Amino acid sequence: MTLKLCVLTPNRIVWDSEVKEIILSTNSGQIGVLPNHAPIATAIDIGILRIRLNDQWLTMALMGGFARIGNNEITVLVNDAEKSGDIDPQEAQQTLEIAEAALRKAEGKRQTIEANLALRRARTRVEAINAIS
Amino acid sequence: MWVSSKPSTLDSSSLSFRSSFINPLQIPSSNPSNSSKSSSSSVHCSLRELRNRIDSVTNTKKITEAMKLVAAAKVRRAQEAVVNARPFSETLVEVLYSINEQLQTEDVDVPLTSVRPVKKVALVVITGDRGLCGGFNNAILKKAEARIRELKTLGLEFTVISVGKKGNTYFLRRPYIPLDKYLDGSNLPTAKEAQAIADDVFSLFVSEEVDKVELLYTKFVSLVKSDPVIHTLLPLSPKGEICDINGICVDAAEDEFFRLTTKEGKLTVERDVVRTETMDFSPILQFEQDPVQILDALLPLYLNSQILRALQESLASELAARMTAMGNATDNAVELKKNLSRVYNRQRQAKITGEILEIVAGADALV
Repeated sequence: MTLKLCVLTPNRIVWDSEVKEIILSTNSGQIGVLPNHAPIATAIDIGILRIRLNDQWLTMALMGGFARIGNNEITVLVNDAEKSGDIDPQEAQQTLEIAEAALRKAEGKRQTIEANLALRRARTRVEAINAIS
Repeated sequence: MWVSSKPSTLDSSSLSFRSSFINPLQIPSSNPSNSSKSSSSSVHCSLRELRNRIDSVTNTKKITEAMKLVAAAKVRRAQEAVVNARPFSETLVEVLYSINEQLQTEDVDVPLTSVRPVKKVALVVITGDRGLCGGFNNAILKKAEARIRELKTLGLEFTVISVGKKGNTYFLRRPYIPLDKYLDGSNLPTAKEAQAIADDVFSLFVSEEVDKVELLYTKFVSLVKSDPVIHTLLPLSPKGEICDINGICVDAAEDEFFRLTTKEGKLTVERDVVRTETMDFSPILQFEQDPVQILDALLPLYLNSQILRALQESLASELAARMTAMGNATDNAVELKKNLSRVYNRQRQAKITGEILEIVAGADALV
């Protein structure tokens, strides 16, 4: 029994094939999804998605969105998704540092909102690289 | 040199030659109909000048033709981008619909949908990066100016977010228009650019600096037609439509409301209405979180895909406009070249005839 996972971004289809198990970072914490999961709809936070293919774990950075699970099909709609292999570690680390600095300097409500978003995105990308196990 | 127009401006006015009997101070464009008709008869250049002119027109023709072909190829790529975005937007719309149905009865309060009395409006103006595309950039900037005047008469504050190089230079030269940010467009709009705009708009709206966000872009109708339109971006309504509750109608007359249709945004000329079969949305579907939270996660996605679609439509319109403009320029160049060649050949023939006459006359005199 397998699950069909489909990760969609506005640009392209990032993932569309069968998987054994996934772990999603939702707004209310991480959930694991195995075959024959009850149909649910959930919001996805900016966070990492872990996919199990047989015995291999893959990691993906998701930039917030939505997932629908049902009928052994998972549809994930996100703004942007990057596989951990596609992220340049140095660049990601640099972006994180820039984002942290920006948050410290941020003044006013608007800048804080912007900086916080950027920081969370940057942190997720770094996490996605380091999570390989 | 009697031919006065630059070879690079190949509109109808460039066909005008200033002939010797026309007042030399007259602007060439002021008499295009007259001179373009009589051009073949009124060109008085030396043969060498004519030859130079023919060469330069030929070169210009080559350039405009190449630009037209490049634009045509890019239109195709822009279409592909839209096709790639389709699975996403279709699924999104599907989900949003079904969640809306579940939320009909509840009172939702999501930051992106909050309708406040409008005091300040942000205008997102999407222009192109390059010129030589007919009236494309002018049309959208004129629309923006008209909207700004309207807002002024309504006594509302406004700020402009400009996307694209042409818009940036336009607004930079007009310091009296308050500008929030310049963003550069790119060759092919991606989710990253849309995200950058969405982030900006999002923070402006959520921090209550502005109460309404309008998107001005060029809608792609067909390869020969595109319309500058105003589109209300925020506040979103959870149902996907905007109704002005606050009483003051700030919307422009031709303001286009959000409507969750999947047939929008196709760049194909026929605007094909392929609707994927809607999967049966399981009635026993549970919401992991509060439905409001899920809506909160979905609406930014929707916002993004709206902006991305606007960017893509704008790009397609620009390319189509460039294709048409360059096609016209090529046609003009061909005609200009034809006329010039005729004049050239006639003059050459006249010269030869003259020379033969001289030789014959000389031979006669000797006998």
